[in-house]
Parts: sequence; structure tokens; C-alpha cells
Amino acid sequence: MLRRRFRAMGTEIELLLDALPSATAMHGLARAEREFARLERLLSRFDPGSELSLLNERGTMTAGPELLEVTALAVAARERTRGRFDPTVHDALVAAGYDRSFEHLPSDAGRPAVLAGPCGGGVRIDGAVSTIQLDPGVHLDLGGIGKGYAADRAAALLAVAGPALVDAGGDMALHGRPWQVGVETPGGTLTLELGSGGLATSGRDRRRWARAGREQHHLIDPVTGRPAESDILRVTVAAASAVDAEVHAKALFLAGAAGALREANALALPAVIVCADGRTLVSEVIG
Amino acid sequence: MTDHVARLYAATAALAAFFLAWAGIAARPWVPHQQDPRAAAIGRLEQRLQRDATLVQQVVDARNATYRAALARSRAAAAAPAPAPPVRVVTLPPLTTTRTS
Repeated sequence: MLRRRFRAMGTEIELLLDALPSATAMHGLARAEREFARLERLLSRFDPGSELSLLNERGTMTAGPELLEVTALAVAARERTRGRFDPTVHDALVAAGYDRSFEHLPSDAGRPAVLAGPCGGGVRIDGAVSTIQLDPGVHLDLGGIGKGYAADRAAALLAVAGPALVDAGGDMALHGRPWQVGVETPGGTLTLELGSGGLATSGRDRRRWARAGREQHHLIDPVTGRPAESDILRVTVAAASAVDAEVHAKALFLAGAAGALREANALALPAVIVCADGRTLVSEVIG
Repeated sequence: MTDHVARLYAATAALAAFFLAWAGIAARPWVPHQQDPRAAAIGRLEQRLQRDATLVQQVVDARNATYRAALARSRAAAAAPAPAPPVRVVTLPPLTTTRTS
């Protein structure tokens, strides 16, 4: 098993390739790592020179294929989840204090209390002329879905060298063989086995910070424009791709434990829900 | 008409004829026409750029068609997501552990 770890997109990335060391394998690992760097330069909201930052600054622009595709996926996910997954939470994240790369967030001292940020603004994509147009004052955050997209792309690049797993800080893309992935629960680690597809975990147990003495996290409820208040600590979802898994994980987190389990069962989604009170709920479809 | 006026008309006609003849000779119609080499070079460059532009447009059109097909697939997938893969709980040690993204 070949492993490569590196940092990209503000998180730890791990590539697993089930192959013997060879030129093809090494080339595949290098290509996958370069793909993360390339997509980060396009999709990061913290890089003022990224294509996404230019879009947020100008409001309208002719976009490259990747930004166009990720934005289209995010807007479609917003419709599918009836607004629970929303790429327009950028200003709400900034209002909550997440205004720079997570590792550079300052301490709470002297920072003002959290304000609500607007969400749900209009995003229009014209595929015929490759343009994206944001309503005035609307800014996009493609952090989570961007990582899922990068994981899917990197896994596709690695797949030519053998069965592969790409873990982009919790957003996983898997390909080519049954993979055993641990899910942490209060009762210990639960090992799930799945083949090709995606797996993502969303929660409020990491990427937390404090503002005016109150703990904040990065999962914004688009209804309130503030970090979501949920009885879920974290939720892990498997889906056909890392992008789909990321979208479902966020949507289930916002649904609350009972709603999340009901929705996972209705959609036949494999999901493990760790509640704040220590309970672990597993959807029916997990055998 | 007096002789004086007739002489004035004759002198004017002679002057006009002289200038016409001068313009005709200055144009050197017996010398074959030669195109300016700089204009010829610009013409060749224009033709080459037109050929290159046609080729580039063909490449752009092909890539655009490929991208639009991929985008259509993505949109179709987003509108009706593929079913989740089968997942089961096993007792094997995990190869990696998921954590909050």
C-alpha cells in the first residue's frame, strides 16, 4: 500500500494507492497531488488571486470549466437539499469569524460578537457563454464541495495506477476495491467497508473557534445565517461521489438527529450519526 | 475677339497641356507595376494568421464540446444523484479513519 500525505486546501490530504512502487504509481501520486494544488489555486476563497476570489470581487465573470462545474454542482445541491446546502454562506462564515484560512484564525481576544450573515442569494450560470453571475452582495464559499470535487478528480487520476482512496480532510473518494474506513463513535471506532464512491463527515467537533466567549463552527445554517445549532456532533455519509457525500453530510447535520436518520433511511443513504448526547445512530441501509 | 485675348487663351491651353503631359510622364506607365515587399509580407502574414485562427477555433470548439458534455453529465448527476454504494460494518482494522472535514 503506497501512502502520500501533504497539505492542501487548508487540510491534511492523504492518498492511498493499492499498488507496488512503480513509475506509473509514483506518477499517479504526483499527478493527484498537483491536481489538489491546481484546484486550490482556482477555488480557494482565501487566495485573493484565485478564480473564485475574482468572481466574488467582480460579481460576474467568464469562468473556467472547473469553477463553472463546481458552482453548478453547488447550486444544484442547494435546490436538491431545499437550501440546507448553500454555497452563498461566504458572508455568514466571515461574520462568524472564519475570515481567513483556519490555521491563521486569531484567538478570541478583542474580537467582536458574531453577527448573522446573509445567505441564499441568486447565482446564475450561463453554460452557453461560460459565465457566472452573482446577485449584488452575494459571495460564494466552495470550500467543502471543492474538497470533495478535488478528491473525486484526484481519485480518478490515481485509478489508472490501481485501487485508490483519497482523503481530503474528511471528504473521501474511493475506487477499485473494498476499503475499510474507520468512523469514530463514543463507543469506539466503527469500521465501514465500501467500494467505489465517496464518504464525507461533517460536524462541529473540529474547525471550531471562539468569538466573544462563544464557540463557533463552520457549518452555517442558511436560515439563520449563523453557525447551526444541532443535536448532532458529526455525521458520516456514503454516496456515489465525494461531492454527493459532502452535500448529504451537511444537509443531514442541519436536519438534526431525528430528521437526519429519517432522511437517510428515506434516501437509502448509508449514514452514521454521532449525537451530542453520546448516542450513535446508524441508517438502515448499512448492513 | 482681339489678338490679345486669343493669345491669353492659347497660353492657358498650352499650360494645361504641359501639366497633363507632365503628370502622364511622371506616372511612368511604361514601368511594370511592382508591389511593395512590406505589403506583400503583411498579406502573407494575414493569410497565415487566418489559417491559425481557423485551427485554434476548431480546437476550442472541440474542447468546448467535450466540456459541455461533461457539464451536462454533472448536471444530470446532480439533478438525480446516483445511488450510494453498498456499505457494511466489518470487524477488520480500518485502513484510514474519517474525521470532520
